[in-house]
Amino acid sequence: MNKALQSFWETMLGVWGRSALATRQIFNKVFTSSAHLSVALLVVVLLIFLVPMIRRGSTAVVFRGTNEFRELQWDLHTRGDPDDVQAETRQVEALRATFYERIDHFKRGIDINARVDEARQIYRRYGEELDQKDVTGQDKQTLRSRCRTVRNQFVEALEQTDADAALEMLDRVLAYRSDPDFRGTVVEEYFRQALDYKDIVTSIDLSRREKYAGPLEEVQNALVLLFGPRPDEPLPALTQNRYGATRWDMAQRNLHTIVYATEWVSQEEGQPLIKKEVRRDQSESQFKGTTLESWFGDLEANVEAMLKPRWTLYWQYFIDDSTPGHYFGGVGPEIIGTLLLTLLAMAFAVPLGVVSAAYLVECAGDNVVVKIIRTSVNTLAGVPSIVFGLFGLAFYILYLFPKIGLPSQKCILSASLTLAVLVLPVIIRASEEAIKSVPQTYKEASLALGAGRFRTFVTVTLPAALPGILTGIILSVSRAAGETAPIMFTGAAALGPIPESITEPTRALSYGGYDLAVGDRLAMLVPHKQYGMVMTLITLILLLNIIAIYIRSRMAKKLRGY
Amino acid sequence: MGYLTAHAGRIVLFSITCASVVAVLLIFVFVIKESIGFFTSYPVGDFLTKKSWYPQADNPEFGALGIIVGSVYVAIGALVIAVPIGLLAAVFLSDIAPFKVQQIFKPIIEILAAIPSVAYGFFAVLVVAPYMQDTFGFPAGTNAMNASIILAVMALPTIISVSEDSLSAVGREIREAAYGLGSTRAETMIKVVIPAAHSGIIAGIILGMMRAIGETMVVLMASGKAYNHIPSPWWDLSQQISTITANIASDMGEVPHGSQHYGALFALGVILFVFTFLLNLVSEYFLSRIKRSTGAAVK
Repeated sequence: MNKALQSFWETMLGVWGRSALATRQIFNKVFTSSAHLSVALLVVVLLIFLVPMIRRGSTAVVFRGTNEFRELQWDLHTRGDPDDVQAETRQVEALRATFYERIDHFKRGIDINARVDEARQIYRRYGEELDQKDVTGQDKQTLRSRCRTVRNQFVEALEQTDADAALEMLDRVLAYRSDPDFRGTVVEEYFRQALDYKDIVTSIDLSRREKYAGPLEEVQNALVLLFGPRPDEPLPALTQNRYGATRWDMAQRNLHTIVYATEWVSQEEGQPLIKKEVRRDQSESQFKGTTLESWFGDLEANVEAMLKPRWTLYWQYFIDDSTPGHYFGGVGPEIIGTLLLTLLAMAFAVPLGVVSAAYLVECAGDNVVVKIIRTSVNTLAGVPSIVFGLFGLAFYILYLFPKIGLPSQKCILSASLTLAVLVLPVIIRASEEAIKSVPQTYKEASLALGAGRFRTFVTVTLPAALPGILTGIILSVSRAAGETAPIMFTGAAALGPIPESITEPTRALSYGGYDLAVGDRLAMLVPHKQYGMVMTLITLILLLNIIAIYIRSRMAKKLRGY
Repeated sequence: MGYLTAHAGRIVLFSITCASVVAVLLIFVFVIKESIGFFTSYPVGDFLTKKSWYPQADNPEFGALGIIVGSVYVAIGALVIAVPIGLLAAVFLSDIAPFKVQQIFKPIIEILAAIPSVAYGFFAVLVVAPYMQDTFGFPAGTNAMNASIILAVMALPTIISVSEDSLSAVGREIREAAYGLGSTRAETMIKVVIPAAHSGIIAGIILGMMRAIGETMVVLMASGKAYNHIPSPWWDLSQQISTITANIASDMGEVPHGSQHYGALFALGVILFVFTFLLNLVSEYFLSRIKRSTGAAVK
């Protein structure tokens, strides 16, 4: 080992001593390859960033929609074929009914209080029945007291925690079955229930009955998320509670919470408890050994038939409004808001920017005033976006709007005016470059033909510079569409109706993306919606940039002459 | 007559061009105007030197030191990551890559710059933060390191493009002279070209720093909003912090207009604005130097 180390060092030192050239070359290689690496790193970063965003975001548009989704589409937007939707609903509800029935059956075994109440009810109804039959006096007393005995025995059976004792009591109740006095009366209900209960008693550990209540409630709550409210229940007020899992991926998450329970188990003595997932049908503390044991496996096997997932292209995602929290629906208002904000901002900024650029290139000399203007443009380009937000709030909303009689509140107008100031330097710089790059010979030719400077600029320089200016405009549209901080307190809202005028706040993709990521709790339940919003924004901006890059590369080719 | 219209047109054009100057002045005036109330009612010394930001307390305190340090802290953290990578990438684009490869990489860098900050912030919160928590066992995934890494990615395009421009602006004959003396490429770059282009590179780094300091959404979402915390030990990036921009953005929506808290947020805005204004002047100074020394046009 030592020898190897020694020889290694000797070699290294030898290399160093013998030829400095070798080290220099090694250094050169290291330098060059790290330059390669750093650029490769950029590409990797871009991919790490874009791929998951676009991939996860696209699940908001392309996914396996369940029958609940198709039902929702019909209810909210009247999309699809109503007959198909109804047929499908009937079909799945028939399948689901057996699962509901089995869980109800189990619940009847667990929920003793309800049964005891029911037993009392039956006794009362028997009394009424006797009155109707005009049984009075001694007969009535006897019959009632006998019924009371049956009831007491049944209640006692229900309250037993030992299976054998309970069965014995139930048999005693059932012994009255042959009694002719009770034939055809309400009392027979006791016998039906006793038989039902006898069935259950053999399948549950009665002493642990109360422990089933918690897990059962968990299962039932998760079942509502999976299948929506039961058909016989009234429709919930909130739209988001009216439907089960509309997407197959959501359905599988819900199914997981139904089938698996998280339990805190101790690993070793004295160690902290750790969280562990157990299957509910295989854990003693859950439903192992009960009639529900097979329910979970059956549910897993049949859930696909009960939801009928089908690949869906939900292109209306880009035009639909959303329910609160973006639980259902799309990003239509956000897209409209973003477009409104940017286009309005451009309407202010483009004329100002292009004229400024024209002046700076064509008319301005190299004096102090021009220097101040250039420094201002650079400063404006460097002002942090949040300061633009503060400015928009302080100047437009609090100072200017009250002066000119507009409401002093955040609105589209103030936000787009703020964005206009933000993109002004971008447009000025791009237009300046574009106007500068028009060959001097063009202008000279025009001037030589007798055209004035203004005419030359409008008819010769501007058209030649137009692709460059257009590139600048497209890039500033992409900048304005992506900015969040300046519109946060000048015009963006997380919720609210689609604005009817430019003096109202609007939703926007950028602010929506922020709100869904950190602000909205409900959105955490629908990650595809979170990613979908940002995916829409990124796609929009990528498209704009690709168009700009394309125009520019064509222009560069033209200028190079091939 | 023609002279008059030309003159009048010039004046109109000039006054339109002054819009930028007016905008800068308006920003300056109005951000300061809203903060005057705060500066007159709260001791400026406490504001700048105490790290006790308790705006909601009965006796509100506005010691912004922790917040100001936080801004510089994440920006420097971002630069430590971004400068070496950015410089090497600029060298690659200016001296190593053939023309065709350049044509491919430049749009990629542009796209990196064009991705909106809210998308970066979203990525920081929903992808990087859980990853950091699970993989490195940090107590919180939203911390200074998360913010610095993302800010580094955002500052990279600026650093690369400005440095690359100034590296390209260094004359060909200077490189040829170095190669002719037997220098390797690394030696040529490090000992000759980069020193010759240092003004532009410094300007690029300053512009990158401005981007990192002024960035709002990423730090708002990824820094953890710990107002009064300066990481100690100073190199422990896994701690939560807050920055000027994040603080303004998260609080401004809730404060009543005209309150002391409102004024304090504008005061933070003034600090931010003055800071970036100065950085901008410095970067312009360096850019003008490169123009003079090489005679080349650099954006």
